[in-house]
Amino acid sequence: MENLNSLMHGFGVAATGFHLMLMVVGVLLGILVGVLPGLGAPNGVSLLLPLTFSMDPVSAIILLTSMYWGALFGGSTTSILFNIPGEPSSVATTFDGYPMAKQGRATEALSLAFLSAGFGALAGVVLITILSTWVAKFALRFSSPEYFAVYFLAFASFVGLGGASPFKTIVSMMLGFAFATVGMDTISGSLRLTFGFSELLNGVSFLVAVIGLFGIGELILTMEEGLRFEGIRARISPRDVFATIASMPRYWVSLLRSSLIGCWMGITPGGPTAASFMSYGLAKRFARNKEGFGKGRPEGVVCPETADHAAGTSAILPMLALGVPGSATAAVMMGGLMIWGLNPGPMLFIDKPDFVWGLVASMYLGNVVAVVLVLATVPFFAAILRIPFAIIGPVIVVVCFIGAYTVSSATFDLWLALAFGLVGYVFKKLDYPIAPLVLAMVLGDKAEDAFRQSMIMSRGSLAIFWSNPLVTGLTALALTLLLWPVVGFAREWVRASRASALRPLSVRGAADEATGGLSR
Amino acid sequence: MTHTTPETPAPALVSRRAAEVAAALFTGALGATVVVGAREYGVGWDSAGPQPGAFPFYLGLIIVAASLANLVRGVLAGAGGAFVDRDQARQVLAFFGPIVAFVVLTVTLGLYVGAALYLFGVMLVQGKYRWWIALLVSMGVSVFFFVVLERWFQVPLLKGPLEAALGIY
Repeated sequence: MENLNSLMHGFGVAATGFHLMLMVVGVLLGILVGVLPGLGAPNGVSLLLPLTFSMDPVSAIILLTSMYWGALFGGSTTSILFNIPGEPSSVATTFDGYPMAKQGRATEALSLAFLSAGFGALAGVVLITILSTWVAKFALRFSSPEYFAVYFLAFASFVGLGGASPFKTIVSMMLGFAFATVGMDTISGSLRLTFGFSELLNGVSFLVAVIGLFGIGELILTMEEGLRFEGIRARISPRDVFATIASMPRYWVSLLRSSLIGCWMGITPGGPTAASFMSYGLAKRFARNKEGFGKGRPEGVVCPETADHAAGTSAILPMLALGVPGSATAAVMMGGLMIWGLNPGPMLFIDKPDFVWGLVASMYLGNVVAVVLVLATVPFFAAILRIPFAIIGPVIVVVCFIGAYTVSSATFDLWLALAFGLVGYVFKKLDYPIAPLVLAMVLGDKAEDAFRQSMIMSRGSLAIFWSNPLVTGLTALALTLLLWPVVGFAREWVRASRASALRPLSVRGAADEATGGLSR
Repeated sequence: MTHTTPETPAPALVSRRAAEVAAALFTGALGATVVVGAREYGVGWDSAGPQPGAFPFYLGLIIVAASLANLVRGVLAGAGGAFVDRDQARQVLAFFGPIVAFVVLTVTLGLYVGAALYLFGVMLVQGKYRWWIALLVSMGVSVFFFVVLERWFQVPLLKGPLEAALGIY
């Protein structure tokens, strides 16, 4: 068990006093970010990232991942107590969590949510522990064409499985790639697409984009909907928590099924939001007794929470082993890795084992820390939401702009964040998915390099993308996913030519639900 | 600013179709800009492989094509309800307007002063707080960020004439 040894070594790296302190700070900041509307995991991590530039990479990634765990937990807290999901991935938790809280079972709902979330997260980390070396070893065989095919596959799966309009996904994704090409060209060294603006010489930072798209955009949307917090007071008594722990084994089927769904959606770029919806949907379908869903049924909390966290943690696997992040937050973290001078991908396992296994070990510890902390601090964070929005809203705006400025100390980035905020608001309202844009911005240079190197290898022939079984398989899978919507269009068109009256409503509804699933 | 728009019973200010079309035109224009910009750097092939403009050039073309598809689909989809109604637009503007003011203030006066003025203004006008509460909170928030960022994390933020006058650098 080579991995177990490495993991033990990782615990040696992660379990220092300083790192445990970072975990506590990260988790607390994460819960705060998760609880506050408009601030979510992706832009919470983006805001914190510039402050870690001078830190040791292991400490920095522990801080950032802990913040991610905290944000996932914080999102569920507001879902249950306020019926307002702090994160899109906790929308499904509101369905049964809030009714439970209204019936006076807030403690039970919260403990159930946190414990099953912890279970899901552990499932994800165990998966990473077992699979990561294997995936990395496999990926060592990759050269440029295979890498490009993997990137292509990741993006094709957004188009094919995303559920949003495929053309909107393509526009969003390609805009991300285009933003990534602005500034210095990594191969020839020449400047591109700056149009004579010296502000654009350094390119468009994905951090500023995330802060604008997710932060400002989401806040505007929140304001438009007219936010009102009508919370349920919660005090967590240890007795109730232990009673809930004792009841957990009862939900083993839900826990296992949801973990599997979550892990799968995390590794493929489906993301936590889609995972939690899917898990909730399946729980409802498989339940022997369908009564009670949406009225405060414990499974309705257990399933989405488990899948949400399993997806959140397992999204780290493709990021580390392949250099392809499985969620928007993982994409931001991967961008961070590159800023710290690390190159995510299989070589990371060989060059920086301390970093990889320190991170994996910290995920075990961080999630335990997060469960304990979130149980202990729920009343405090719930109180924060009682601060009037006229204060908290503008403070969040200020935090976002501070974050945008700290990226590279440029005033231009403030305007850029503002512009991205408007774009984010409009894109969200029109169901343009935002996660592909962020992923493309982070992966842009790598994807372009892989493409250009492949072209150099093949002297300009695209045939290199089916020159051996491995790359052919990847390309074929990607093309299938890319063309998947065509099948959908064909089916839609056939159905439309038969009967047309009721169609647009149902199609639009389904698309809305699915885009919600991929906006993070 | 809330009284500048007259009250009318018609709720939709911008229809979904109009918004779809505008968004498609916007992304299409961005794509076209990328295409034009990329042509400057050569979109063909030279001794070192594809020229620097090639990759963005094709990206731009795909953006334009997909935007056209969105445009057609947006037009064909029918009116499709409201993108934003009057009340929503008013709330969005009431929130977004001050943000723009904040950025302008920040660029001219520095981030700390800009943030304090912005918070003070929003709390006073929209939150209807008493002036001294607004003053206390806005100053408190600015000082808090100053201490956290400049002292603890040693991350310098944008400063303006006030900080220069006080000799804080």
